[in-house]
Amino acid sequence: MEFGWNKELDVFREEVREFLSEFDTPSLRAELANRGESAHAGPEQTRLREAVEARGWVRMCWPEELGGEGKSQWFQFVMTEEFAKAELPFGSGFGSMVGPAIHRFGTEAQREKYLPGIWGNDITLCLGYSEPNAGTDLAALETLAVKDGDDWLINGQKLWTSAADTASHVWLAARTDPDAPKHRGISTFIVPMDTPGISVRPIMTMSGGRTNEVFFEDVRVPSDALVGEVNQGWYIIANALDHERVWIGAGGGLRHIFDRLMAHVREKRPALLEDDAVRRRLVELELDLDVMEGLVLTNASIVASGDTPTMEASMSKVWTSELRYHISNVAMDLLGREGALTEEANGFSPLDGELERTYRSSPIQRFGGGANEVQRDIIARRGLGLPR
Amino acid sequence: MDTTLSETQRLLRDSLRDYLRNEVPFDRIRELEREGGTDQALWNYLQGAGFLALPFSESHGGEDGELTDAAILLEELTRRACVIPFLETTVSALAIERHGDKGLADEIVRGVIGGTTTIVPALQDSTSGNGASPRVVDGMLTGERLFVDYGAEASHHLVEATEDGEAGLYLIEASGEGVAKESLSTIARTPLAHCSYDKAPARRAGGLEALQFLNGAGRALCAVQCVGNAQQALDMTVEYVGMRVQFGRPIGSFQAVQHHCANMATQTLGARFLSYRAVWSLDQGIASDRLIAKAKALASRAATEVTMQAHILFGGIGYTEEYDLHFFSRHGKERALAWGSADECLRVAADTIDEVQPWQ
Repeated sequence: MEFGWNKELDVFREEVREFLSEFDTPSLRAELANRGESAHAGPEQTRLREAVEARGWVRMCWPEELGGEGKSQWFQFVMTEEFAKAELPFGSGFGSMVGPAIHRFGTEAQREKYLPGIWGNDITLCLGYSEPNAGTDLAALETLAVKDGDDWLINGQKLWTSAADTASHVWLAARTDPDAPKHRGISTFIVPMDTPGISVRPIMTMSGGRTNEVFFEDVRVPSDALVGEVNQGWYIIANALDHERVWIGAGGGLRHIFDRLMAHVREKRPALLEDDAVRRRLVELELDLDVMEGLVLTNASIVASGDTPTMEASMSKVWTSELRYHISNVAMDLLGREGALTEEANGFSPLDGELERTYRSSPIQRFGGGANEVQRDIIARRGLGLPR
Repeated sequence: MDTTLSETQRLLRDSLRDYLRNEVPFDRIRELEREGGTDQALWNYLQGAGFLALPFSESHGGEDGELTDAAILLEELTRRACVIPFLETTVSALAIERHGDKGLADEIVRGVIGGTTTIVPALQDSTSGNGASPRVVDGMLTGERLFVDYGAEASHHLVEATEDGEAGLYLIEASGEGVAKESLSTIARTPLAHCSYDKAPARRAGGLEALQFLNGAGRALCAVQCVGNAQQALDMTVEYVGMRVQFGRPIGSFQAVQHHCANMATQTLGARFLSYRAVWSLDQGIASDRLIAKAKALASRAATEVTMQAHILFGGIGYTEEYDLHFFSRHGKERALAWGSADECLRVAADTIDEVQPWQ
């Protein structure tokens, strides 16, 4: 057991901080502030991303056979943590999920065709998973891909396809054998979004963000759009999701909200801190954040030691997502009516409206990315070994 | 950063776990709870195996290990509901060795490692309203301490007292002149005493620094005891609901039961992280009262809530005296209050909220 950081990681952390301070420019901040909920990366953000890729930081912790350097997962952890502290966006989006899957299951030609683009961000992805009748029960998906000569002909509808309006490609799960058991008749494809027959319709959410539904009508793609073997898709999807397991730095934003709340109370509402009950509620939030940190670090420790966490990633997900609601809710209650003000209430809104925004956008963290009920099933069954 | 046990720590844990499973049946605990006293046979084993020597300096015959190692042993002892003053003796002797009187340290630590000395802290408790705070005059200590764990069984007391208006720690021979011990019965049925000192010969063992370490280390290790009680109750519950059949299937296959177990496991893991981090930071010399108080607050809650939820999932069988679950809910609740309840610890954290720094 060791709850501090070793020298090598301290040095690396310092390197990331210096890097970030160099790239943290007013023009990048302005670009990020103006992007709204759009997934579009502006020129400054792209410059940052390219610099991160140039340093080799995107893949440094991947195994060598996946084109990485095989470094300890703690490097990834430290890097993401520093990006979160600086409140700068990190990552190649869904590319960091799909890239390894293409690397592992694709042909040599597919690797050459897609991977440089994914790492360089010329190829951006959206995930074509959910459908009207396949949400938590993803394997029930109905979008059909039928072999037609050398091509595949795709028909169906995807739902909650975030970034479909900006992505260059969709990573698609489609049914290729309707007669097989549902997990054994799915295949994965990579399809350019400008392929004829694909149409995207926006769905606006209560968070103010946009997601989409995507329709596929006689979408014809060549045989090399298929990644992996026919009907191997469920296994590939599970493998791609595996790379998301580490659940790194996920709670960074919550820590910032707490810090801003403390700063606001100290500066604008100091009388609140005289109240025992208020101090007590703030400390309870701090404890919840401590637990979040503990769960995330425990999970990362298991990953870094080379083992596969059975339940710790799910614990982190459940805790962090429920805390997102809880922290915004308690903070709004503590502040009273000003807690409800949005960022448009110029000059009056605490934390620039972040509290009401966080409250409004908290539900998706709980039902999305594997609903918390399912996560608790995973903790109980895969982690604790309880029977089905 | 590594929250997993090292290979050595794993071996340490497993070897004690195996011994306890084979040699300390729960009926032994029942007997001790009924008749009082501590488990001398177990103490002798720990002494022989070198487990009493781990965190102490080699210059005093110790193993130069860490408090973390002692915490790992303590968790195992807790998970078997063992009745021995391991926490109390470890933190008392360490307070003297690391921060107290140098001359006394060698004698005391060697006595502990040799198995002949057991020392228990007799400290100011925020809930004790009666009795006179001990004072030392001319090497004689007079006063009362209300809640002294193993006060009637230990060979020595390490008493918080004032001398010329200054607080410090004083060593008293428990069987010596002027020491009266009255046993107090608790929900845990483990030894606790009300101690009165009337001109008891006292040797100065340390000042404020030693006292602060003793309070911090005791609280952090008690948090580990809380975690041990929660973990044991959780593990027993998972095993039980996995085989108890109702409606033709194990009740552990029902989601309502599974989700309770998932929440218990999450709560226990969170408390575990904070508690062991608190112990570790004491070893590093970077512990703060606030960090330790937060850990104990969480651990106290886990010891209470997880063990009580276990009873709800067990139903009737877990409610019986014959079954072993009640050891952990009773001991867990008692440990939740010892060394600062969740409420007391949250108050410490709330009163020092000015120390909260932005994430860096």
